[in-house]
Amino acid sequence: MNKEPLSIALVGNPNTGKSTIFNALTGLRQKIANYPGITVERKVGTTIIGGVLHKVIDLPGAYSLNYKKLDERIAYETLIGSYEHEEVPDLVLVVVDSSNLDRNLYLASQVMDLGIPVMLVLNMTDVAEGKGIKINPDLISSSLGIPVVAISAKNKTEIEKLKGEISNFDLSKPEALKWNPDDSLKEAMDLLINDWIKLHTDIPDRAQAIEALRLISEGDFKDAFYTFEDEGKGRATIRKAQQIIEQGGGNPMAAEVLLRYNFIGESTSEAATHSAQSEVSITDRIDAFVTHKVAGPVIFTLVLLFMFQAIFSWATPFMDMIDLLFVEGGNWVANTLPDGMLNDLLVDGVIAGLGGVVIFLPQILFLFFFIYILEGTGYMARAAFVMDGFMTKVGLHGRSVVPLMSGFACAIPGIMATRTIENWRDRIITIMVLPFMACSARLPVYALMIAAFIPSTTVLGIFTLQGITFFGLYIFGIVMAVFAAVVMKRIFPTGQQTPFIMELPAYKMPKWSVVFQNTAERGKVFITEAGKIIVAISIVLWFLASFPKTEMPQVVQSESTEYDSSFDITENPESYQLRHSFAGRFGKMIEPVIEPLGFDWKIGIGLITSFAAREVMVGTLNTIYSIEEEDGESSTLKEKLINDVNPETGKPVYSIATAISLMIFFALAMQCMSTIAIVKRETNSWKWPTAMFVYMTALAYISSFIAFQIGSNL
Amino acid sequence: MHPLSIGKEGEEVVVRCLDCHCDDVCRLNELGCVEGARGRIISNQKSVILQVGEARLAIASTLAKTILVSPQ
Ligand SMILES: Nc1nc2c(ncn2[C@@H]2O[C@H](COP(=O)(O)OP(=O)(O)OP(=O)(O)O)[C@@H](O)[C@H]2O)c(=O)[nH]1
Ligand SMILES: [Mg+2]
Repeated sequence: MNKEPLSIALVGNPNTGKSTIFNALTGLRQKIANYPGITVERKVGTTIIGGVLHKVIDLPGAYSLNYKKLDERIAYETLIGSYEHEEVPDLVLVVVDSSNLDRNLYLASQVMDLGIPVMLVLNMTDVAEGKGIKINPDLISSSLGIPVVAISAKNKTEIEKLKGEISNFDLSKPEALKWNPDDSLKEAMDLLINDWIKLHTDIPDRAQAIEALRLISEGDFKDAFYTFEDEGKGRATIRKAQQIIEQGGGNPMAAEVLLRYNFIGESTSEAATHSAQSEVSITDRIDAFVTHKVAGPVIFTLVLLFMFQAIFSWATPFMDMIDLLFVEGGNWVANTLPDGMLNDLLVDGVIAGLGGVVIFLPQILFLFFFIYILEGTGYMARAAFVMDGFMTKVGLHGRSVVPLMSGFACAIPGIMATRTIENWRDRIITIMVLPFMACSARLPVYALMIAAFIPSTTVLGIFTLQGITFFGLYIFGIVMAVFAAVVMKRIFPTGQQTPFIMELPAYKMPKWSVVFQNTAERGKVFITEAGKIIVAISIVLWFLASFPKTEMPQVVQSESTEYDSSFDITENPESYQLRHSFAGRFGKMIEPVIEPLGFDWKIGIGLITSFAAREVMVGTLNTIYSIEEEDGESSTLKEKLINDVNPETGKPVYSIATAISLMIFFALAMQCMSTIAIVKRETNSWKWPTAMFVYMTALAYISSFIAFQIGSNL
Repeated sequence: MHPLSIGKEGEEVVVRCLDCHCDDVCRLNELGCVEGARGRIISNQKSVILQVGEARLAIASTLAKTILVSPQ
């Protein structure tokens, strides 16, 4: 029995169910999906086994310890104790896909060389069974010399079985180099370790053999995460080591791989048996269709079109309900509480601000629901594959597709997901154009403008003009991203290209409980995160828009025109007060800058607050318009916008040109602090986020200017 | 022996030689596409989908040209 608390790391090939096991052990909700490369960072949780609290670490998937991508490197560094001074884990669970045993054991055999206690978890036994693969865990255990447990992570009782095995494991270390490197490979490794690695690098002892093998097969120490000196001697020693293998008749690039696969083949030949292969599987049939060179991209576009149309039209009834709820709620509070400051603050500040944003919850939920379904089925890997040709042409990579698609939800997970892109140039271009993808925070602004100013005419029987505009905005974002990528492709020097290789997972029915849970989770995050900022900004804004209190002149005297040239007899006192508040004065001050884009000062205030987060815009407008509204009436924001009249010109503030200009501005401008922060973190410099902010916002200003000037002169 | 890129759909092949950049060799190796591995071409439309063992690999056309295979 293990009475001591352990730190237990989960490693394995991508998409083998590590996060599923992590979630089952810890009760946390790490993202799970049927796509290789979902987890891109280290996540820690705890689990109680036999009354002892253990630490569990979920890691990004890796095919080997010869890391090439950032996510793989994180897994490797964690295992050898080089990751941010974390301790080496006490126990490593290597999670393998039982239906693809040999390939998965390659990584396992490398991990066994690290001298850390290892347990092999044969996951997805249900899938293996379905494919007619029979596995004998005991045989595998005796040939590898490590404990083996076969489970299906979907099944709760099997997770208990895993816990039992962990608790009973004596934590003995596996025998290193059990795969038996031949004499020349051994000699080459020893040479490299003794003549260079031990003397000139700070690689921890346990990782020296693995690093020597990596250097021999790659011939160079690029991407090294450790410090080293005397590079010249290093190169010369690597070369010498390679020559030893060549003299023995081997190929330095393949020597390790072939020996390991031989060892694995021997270990599993008796232990895993295949019954006769079924001819053409369902996966084959679907793949023939969705990866077809012509049909594939068409299907991908249709999937997107369907998704956006659905988000827009299916969500509408729910949105109307929420809208009504907040309007009625606001009226109820207004009539129940005694008149005064608190009443105003709650109704015009908090409820209006919050209501303006919560209304978009249904659309956010639909969006995430669709994305989770697509990811759960295994389709996303195909989308990456069929789009690779096009992506490469425009300066991106097939692997950019999934990060860009996540950008529809939010740029932040999208930018994190670029860790799965190997080539630095491909990765940085993806990061730089990703914020053009219409994220869910823009959705409120788009939806509001479209609902208020685009007619709901039906087009082609099934689509509405509103739906098409909505889709058009998404397409606009995509087109701008592509355009920016093409430009950046010319700016950044082309290094060595990284051709697309990806494992296509078998199709699966999405796990509905996971889809619903994750969707709900995202909804909750949207409400709480956006809610916090919005309540805070609404309160501040309410104050700035309500003070100082200015009385409207009672009688219109001839002097009053001098005293206030913009004073208008038809204006209500609330509106007059708003224009003379702090916010009003400030808005008026910046108005000249945004006037050429068709924006008045109220939109200007909204724009400024939206630099904290885009969705705040809608809350801000709602707060401002509610303050302006005469007491006792309450209408939806949409109605307020349509009815808003410029007191100076007597014309409506919003025209279609204004609405379009505003939507374009939101489509292009970099208005998200969190994105800036994450780009700084992921690129490790201020250069990229600064460049991103400047080019995107400048582009937004110019494009909105052109759109408004053309639109208003038509 | 011929490049994977000109293999036919449904063809059963053995991987003979990986004549690509060393990084790509490593990638292919760890995905199970090693010299001597048996596979089946699922689709070939410039880019290739190759089934190796239980793994289904999507391979860009540039890379498929450098993988030499022979019929099983
Ligand atoms: N049928 C079956 N599916 C499973 C099992 N375990 C996990 N899955 C599914 O396999 C897919 C991948 O699961 P994840 O937990 O995200 O895999 P991961 O290893 O964390 O993947 P990366 O983070 O991308 O490396 C998901 O669709 C899971 O629902 C299992 O035992 N049986
Ligand atoms: Mg994971």
